[in-house]
Amino acid sequence: MKSETTFQSTTMAPPVESPVHEPPVDRPAGRPRSNIGLVRPDGRGFLVDWLTTVDHKKIGIMYFVFAMGFFLVGGIEALLIRAQLAVAENNLVSPQTYNQLFTMHGTTMIFLAVMPLSSAFFNLLIPLQIGARDVAFPRLNAFSLWTFVAGAVIINLSWFFQAAEALGWFGVAGGHTDMVPAVGWFGYAPLTMTEYSGIGTDFWIFGLQVLGIASIAAALNFIVTIINFRAPGMKMMRLPVFTWMTLITSLLIIFAFPPITVALGQVMFDRFFGTSFFNVEGGGQPILWQHLFWIFGHPEVYILILPAMGIISEILPTFSRKPLFGYSLVVFSGAVIGFLGFAVWSHHMFTTGLGKVATAAFSLLTMAIAVPTGVKIFNWIGTLWGGRIKFSVPMVLALGFIFMFMMGGFSGIMHSSAPADAQQQDSYFVVAHFHYVLIGGSILAILAGTYFWLPKFTGRMWYGSLGYWMSGLVLVGFNLTFFPMHFLGLIGMPRRTHSYLEGTGWQPLNIVCTIGAFLLAFGILLFLIDLIRTVRKGPPAGNDPWDGRTLEWSIPSPPPVYNFAKTPVVKARDALWADKHGSSRQKLGGVESGSHGIHMPSNSWMPLVASAGLLLVGVSMALKQAGVPFCGYLAIGGLVITTVGIYLWALEGPGGYHLHPRPNEGGARS
Amino acid sequence: MSSPAAEAHAHAAEHPVEHMPTGLNTKKLIMWLFLASDCMFFGTLITTHLIYRKIYANLGVDPIEIFDIELTTASSFILLMSSLFMALAVSAIHKGNVKSFRWNLIGVIVFGGLFLAGQVYEFNHFVHYSGLTLESGTFGSTFYLMTGTHGVHVALGILWLLSWLIYSYTPRFNSAEHAIDVETAGLYWHFVDIVWIVIFTAVYLIEYV
Amino acid sequence: MSDAATASPHHDDPQFLKEEQKKYFTFMNLAFLMTALTGIELVIIFLPFPGSLLIFGSLIFLSLVKFVGVIFWFMHLIYDKKLLTVIFLFGMTLAAGTATALMFLFSESHVDQELPFYQEGLIQEAQDESGP
Ligand code: HEM
Ligand SMILES: [Cu+2]
Repeated sequence: MKSETTFQSTTMAPPVESPVHEPPVDRPAGRPRSNIGLVRPDGRGFLVDWLTTVDHKKIGIMYFVFAMGFFLVGGIEALLIRAQLAVAENNLVSPQTYNQLFTMHGTTMIFLAVMPLSSAFFNLLIPLQIGARDVAFPRLNAFSLWTFVAGAVIINLSWFFQAAEALGWFGVAGGHTDMVPAVGWFGYAPLTMTEYSGIGTDFWIFGLQVLGIASIAAALNFIVTIINFRAPGMKMMRLPVFTWMTLITSLLIIFAFPPITVALGQVMFDRFFGTSFFNVEGGGQPILWQHLFWIFGHPEVYILILPAMGIISEILPTFSRKPLFGYSLVVFSGAVIGFLGFAVWSHHMFTTGLGKVATAAFSLLTMAIAVPTGVKIFNWIGTLWGGRIKFSVPMVLALGFIFMFMMGGFSGIMHSSAPADAQQQDSYFVVAHFHYVLIGGSILAILAGTYFWLPKFTGRMWYGSLGYWMSGLVLVGFNLTFFPMHFLGLIGMPRRTHSYLEGTGWQPLNIVCTIGAFLLAFGILLFLIDLIRTVRKGPPAGNDPWDGRTLEWSIPSPPPVYNFAKTPVVKARDALWADKHGSSRQKLGGVESGSHGIHMPSNSWMPLVASAGLLLVGVSMALKQAGVPFCGYLAIGGLVITTVGIYLWALEGPGGYHLHPRPNEGGARS
Repeated sequence: MSSPAAEAHAHAAEHPVEHMPTGLNTKKLIMWLFLASDCMFFGTLITTHLIYRKIYANLGVDPIEIFDIELTTASSFILLMSSLFMALAVSAIHKGNVKSFRWNLIGVIVFGGLFLAGQVYEFNHFVHYSGLTLESGTFGSTFYLMTGTHGVHVALGILWLLSWLIYSYTPRFNSAEHAIDVETAGLYWHFVDIVWIVIFTAVYLIEYV
Repeated sequence: MSDAATASPHHDDPQFLKEEQKKYFTFMNLAFLMTALTGIELVIIFLPFPGSLLIFGSLIFLSLVKFVGVIFWFMHLIYDKKLLTVIFLFGMTLAAGTATALMFLFSESHVDQELPFYQEGLIQEAQDESGP
């Protein structure tokens, strides 16, 4: 059964003409049924296939598409904010709408854009980078996707109720007119209490709660996958850095989300059942919410940046044609960042009066966390040093990342000093800081990663110079928007301010910021255009257009459903690079799948059903708060749907069929 | 039956070596990770309670006046016994002894049910005789949410194990194949027990010192 | 794959059966011990040393013993791969550390005692209103 073969090295892979790979399939005759007698949704039409898929690549693509959609929504919200702030004493949007805009912008960008975009990369890449057939629990993976969609829909449905309210079709018993979350992305108590905010807060609570379930489920899945599903020879210290960062990010998620889950539950109880967790009248301490939120919130910012660091650590070596400088140090720094990330949360609360000892301790720990961050930057520069650098679009964006992220790091260190932070807290300086790390960091890395892996997953290569124009425009627009904000903050402009007076002196820089924001948006538009035109008519990309280093470049583009025709046997770090350019002992091996072919799991409706129940729970609970009748029952109905979904999922069994890859199709190298 | 959080890579045994052998069962691994994560979950609930007890040490409800420590001790004992039955049930199914597995599982379910009954009695008593409700300031809030969430965990555990009990009577049940699933459910059950060990000390007993 | 190692039937492996039999006694003894400890816990809180650090310490110690008993024996950690222990204790340590830090961050002196609920004992009132 077990056979090892060594693949021939070829420098140029033949272009792939048809993006569809349909190897012979072994299916039970007729309509296959699950253990409970339901027809399995295998081999059906396009829509059913995507709704029920358990393939990590399709799930990854859906994560990407949904998240990009929300990225655009968040972007439009940002442009409205900037338009409102362009001139002094402006009244383009009302203060209430303004609050909703910045709340939804922050919530959307963090939870519905950057996190799921990272998830898209996890899904697309992890099984390929470790040489596995799929993730450990494919149906759980589909559940994570659909639950993310459910949470996102819950939060954004609030806009429709706001519209209905504006048209006079919908009103709320309590008298609040705000239907959209307006409490800021960190939802500080007591603003979240029923006296101060309407059902927007409920949409926000339930949306985040559902998103938390999605994130934890996905994170558990990826940890198990990375630990247990590595191809033979893929030792931990041979893992690609992106895989390492995924592992650390997933660990952060499973430990950081429970505190926010509990805290959101407590707010919900305060709102629904009159408890006093954060309600001052009953003795609740709003400051406790701040602690619980940031115990989650600080690890969360690392959840947003570590995958980006992983992407950059893949791109830089490839386009410098050198191994990553100090692989172990990069991995180790990532782990230290992750771990220390749990011990610095109070640096978001320096101005609340924590006491001298606590302030000093959190200040020191925050400074300490900048060290491993700096180490990584030096490692990246070390990777570039002496390399044969090729300025392809992903590389240009990656270089932009290093520079921009570093700027964000600098302002971060300025915050870490408590007395300095007392000046900066809640001012535009902080806004500048976190946009440098989030756009200059996470988003640039995601754009870079998209240009890097797009050829792999679409089978088509981007072309022309649009990518370079896009990169330039994004970088210029970004800096034009956010660099002036450092100064605005220092001359006293508070964040989350709806309008400002004529004589404050903030006018000139604000108009610069707004112009920059529209330039940046135009850059993103170019990105989307480039994306779409590549997908539609890009030239064939070939299997390995960049002379890549990791296993995903060893298989056809786009990858066949089963990923690897032969399970690769890894002999070195940078497995594919070693195979192509290393010694003969480092050639990739391959394990044949055996006479019955490759086992593939069946598609399933159940993850979608279970997630749909959660959607119903979230929406009806928010409407229950609005006084809509029978919503309590609807929420119970939602729970029932989820429970039934889970039971059927458990009972149907994974099912499956076998595939027989044609010879020389999708080997470790084909 | 494989639970959703424990969907196996099917037919693993009949395939040639596909992965680095780690000696870790995939389902057990994901359960342990989940439990590690749940430590943060219950940690937050318990800490919220303790924080308010600390800052309002002399204000509001006096827990000693409402707690019935003998009843709670009995509850702790009951949950401990259910844990013993669970361990024995797992041992039985690994040995392929389905009959003993079923009886022990029934033991777990009965004792878990008793624990819940005790909690219902306790809540009822607190509400009607001591007047402690969710709205009684911070103590009522934190106490009920924390112990109630634990109770929900117990109830879910009972549901899960009951499903296994019923499933063990269906033709698809196969003790060799499903031992690992039962063991995974058992891990969850024991975890619920250790959470109670912590709550019993940190929330109840400490008040008497 | 690894599943095979732990999940495969051992029904007629005598070595395995003997070990399981030994486990049976371990579990029994452990359960008796923990029952006894729970009893002791109940007794010592009524000992006449109110506020004593000794009692406090003993309670923590006793619950720790029970905790360790359950995770290592009932939950098989000593029989399983070390990584599982590492994972769980990591979560546990993180939770305990965060809890400890939070307990230090809050103190009675931070509470504004001018607040109405403090002055009027409002927290108490909710309780008094609804007597038996
Ligand atoms: C060198 C590393 C970093 C240090 C020392 C640092 C430090 C800080 C400090 C002290 C604050 C609080 C500022 C205030 O509110 O007064 C802050 C805010 C923030 N940081 Fe960082 N940071 C670092 C890196 C990052 C990274 C990598 C991200 C995310 C990708 C990030 C995202 C944020 C966000 C989103 C906020 C604002 C939260 C809010 O108030 O809404 N930071 N940072
Ligand atoms: Cu932070």
